[in-house]
Amino acid sequence: MPSRLRLFQRLYRGYATAAQGPLPAFQVFNRHTKLLQRERAARNTELSRTTDYLRDHVATDLAERLLLINRRFPRVLDLGAGSCNIARALIKPVGDSNERVSTRIEKLVAGESSPTLLHRDVEEPFNKEIEIERVVLDEESLPFDSDSFDAVVSAGSMHWINDLPRCLQEVNRVLKPDAPFVAAMFGGDTLYELRTSLQLAEQERMGGVSPRVSPLADTRDMGSLLDKAGFSLLTVDVDDVIIDFPDIFALMTDLQAMGEGNAVLGRKEGQISRDVLMAAEGIYRQLHGHTDNTLPATFRVIYMIGWKKGGNQPKPLERGSAQFSLKDLNELNKDKNKK
Amino acid sequence: MTSPSSAARIRPIEHFAKAVGKCTVESNAYGKCIFLDYNNITKGMCQVEFLRLKECVLRAVKK
Repeated sequence: MPSRLRLFQRLYRGYATAAQGPLPAFQVFNRHTKLLQRERAARNTELSRTTDYLRDHVATDLAERLLLINRRFPRVLDLGAGSCNIARALIKPVGDSNERVSTRIEKLVAGESSPTLLHRDVEEPFNKEIEIERVVLDEESLPFDSDSFDAVVSAGSMHWINDLPRCLQEVNRVLKPDAPFVAAMFGGDTLYELRTSLQLAEQERMGGVSPRVSPLADTRDMGSLLDKAGFSLLTVDVDDVIIDFPDIFALMTDLQAMGEGNAVLGRKEGQISRDVLMAAEGIYRQLHGHTDNTLPATFRVIYMIGWKKGGNQPKPLERGSAQFSLKDLNELNKDKNKK
Repeated sequence: MTSPSSAARIRPIEHFAKAVGKCTVESNAYGKCIFLDYNNITKGMCQVEFLRLKECVLRAVKK
């Protein structure tokens, strides 16, 4: 028997070969589920508006960063616009200054996959203060010409994109040379309290875990992803937004109303069982709860700015072309002190 | 077809959330049990505490 088995193995032994054709695209999220969740959330207009606080906060911070870039932006793309939170932030005066970023923008193209969410606030007064063109699109492939935007912005929607490297390449493609991409996305430790509580509860109740909270991009990854997509002069920084909720149900209801329900592929379908929910509530309170009985939820926002290469952008000098050694920096200081 | 009454518009999860909110003592006891050894969770290790919590929630739901 053993010799026969060995013969069989010998016959079928071969070399491992690389898969033919283009590499398979990353598939982490069910985009169709995500679309349905957003549509459903936006259809309940009133509830949906009460949960704008998070996106509005991020959009306001993003507008501040855009104001620091001293330029005019004739045509700007808002990628994953949601209900146009960025447009609303742009028309407000930024911080203590009286300046409004919208005065520097001629046209804002708002791209979003959920039509109901995109058109939720069409009748609101802010639409008259800035020219908005609403386009329903898939954030993973942009239906625009190359070199056609003076800036691309995005706030709080890129964490649902499956193939982030390709999406960033697309953004780079539609940007004009030497134009900025200014974005904020949720990443890293976002909702880690909820993630750990649900994991512990499922582990103890069911004896196993199912992905309930999305895997998110890490801050460190974003720098290299932007670099790979062809951006230069990168700036990446993080801001933790911590919001206190009365209980785990309020948090989950708000997430659902934001259209931020779970859409991870391979998740356990259907709702979380009541047993796990009540267990998770107790664990959340014990592990993370404040003394005033509220539960904190962390949203880690990664802000990033990248510039498309081109124009007379500052570039690093040729390697070895330095005239002064960094080793001699001390000498320089000594000379100054003598004088 | 009946029109939805105001009572029917409250989502079931809200009833449930309220019921859980009434069982803070049991909920805390369960959380403490998990907290004592959260690096080594096994199925049913806080069964007693959980059943107390569940009983309380069921009672609160019926009220």
